[in-house]
Amino acid sequence: MAKETFYQEYEIFSKRTPNSAFQHQFSLLAPNEDMAFVMAQENFMRREPVADIWIVNRKHVRKMDTEEKMTLGRLENKDYRTTKGYGYLKKKWRQYEQEILDEKEILSWGGERK
Amino acid sequence: MTSSNITAEEEQLSRFMERIESGDKIEANDWMPEEYRMTLIKLISMHGMSEIMGALPEKEWVPRAPTLNRKLGIMAKVQDEMGHGQLLLRVTEDLLLPYGKNRGDLMQDLFNGDLKFHNVFHMETKTWADAGIIGWLVDGAAIITQTDMLKASYGPYARALQRICAEEVFHAQHGESIIMALAEGTDEQKAMIQESLNRWWEALLMFFGPASKETTGSSKQDLTIKYKIRTKTNEEFRQIFFDKYIPRILSLGLTIPDPTINYDSESKMWSYQQPDWNEFKKIIRNQGPRSEARLNLRRQSYEYNSWVRDALSETVS
Repeated sequence: MAKETFYQEYEIFSKRTPNSAFQHQFSLLAPNEDMAFVMAQENFMRREPVADIWIVNRKHVRKMDTEEKMTLGRLENKDYRTTKGYGYLKKKWRQYEQEILDEKEILSWGGERK
Repeated sequence: MTSSNITAEEEQLSRFMERIESGDKIEANDWMPEEYRMTLIKLISMHGMSEIMGALPEKEWVPRAPTLNRKLGIMAKVQDEMGHGQLLLRVTEDLLLPYGKNRGDLMQDLFNGDLKFHNVFHMETKTWADAGIIGWLVDGAAIITQTDMLKASYGPYARALQRICAEEVFHAQHGESIIMALAEGTDEQKAMIQESLNRWWEALLMFFGPASKETTGSSKQDLTIKYKIRTKTNEEFRQIFFDKYIPRILSLGLTIPDPTINYDSESKMWSYQQPDWNEFKKIIRNQGPRSEARLNLRRQSYEYNSWVRDALSETVS
């Protein structure tokens, strides 16, 4: 029954701009990689801008099963790993008449000196 | 089956229902009860095939669109519908894995009548206004049922619907644009929309299905609600459709072809003339006005294009 099984399953990833992260779009059936690229654009990128496409044959994707996913839950007492654990600093700096240098501020520092 | 097996299955089922109740998403390779899998397969394969069959009445209007711009617009919509079919068949195929079936088998099921396509796509299109009514009101009705399932418990379907609904917005506006041009046109054009609305009204009511299973003897609405695939009943969808579209239809100077239609502000319910549910029963048995013609067109196209599948299979075998 070769006729019925010649399709392979591909998982399609793409990104909108050179700087954005790859995002999983969906899966599709294609007989080979070249066709998968054509189908990916036809199926998922008819409108939105696209800067790059990855296709992965589904047999190469190692997925987690339900049991494994259950191990992914995080403990909720890890504030010290995030800025949330230092939330009191905003109030402190205000006492010294200074603004806190938060994530939004710091990540905006790449450009010209203002 | 031993009693310990039964307990294990019961435990799986109760964990499954807990996951659904908590808003967790079920994925293709997760354990799921047979009833859930079968409900999804029925729903999504029918949705997928309806996208493909729904492209056929619209495709008829590609060569007859009145301007180049309209032609491009309706071609894009037809292509989208086929794309939606591809997405949904993919979701169905993953669910069909334990049964060893694929989209070729689904296509055969469609041809031999085991797999139904949506009742609204068995109807005839007669004028350009029909292309507008389909985009505006048929896609509008589809948006109401599909957005209800954006949070469906089955993750792959919910994600497919995210993509589909985003494009449906374009389809609805494409239809509105056709209707708006005709509504602001000549008397003949205005009459053309009214005539089209008169013909499509019953089909629009039937779109959502009967209120209860008493009409046709079976209904999947209870199961789909139980498994949190959708949240509302057929009648609730129909009432929402009236809420949203009746004021818009009237605002364009059109008349609802049902003199009995009435809104009760106390119960917040519309009362209306029921469509002919016997006609509905005929349609879902593929005995509607265009059922056979559209199925034949699909059969011919499937056979005509078999050389593509043959050629592609040669390259990999």
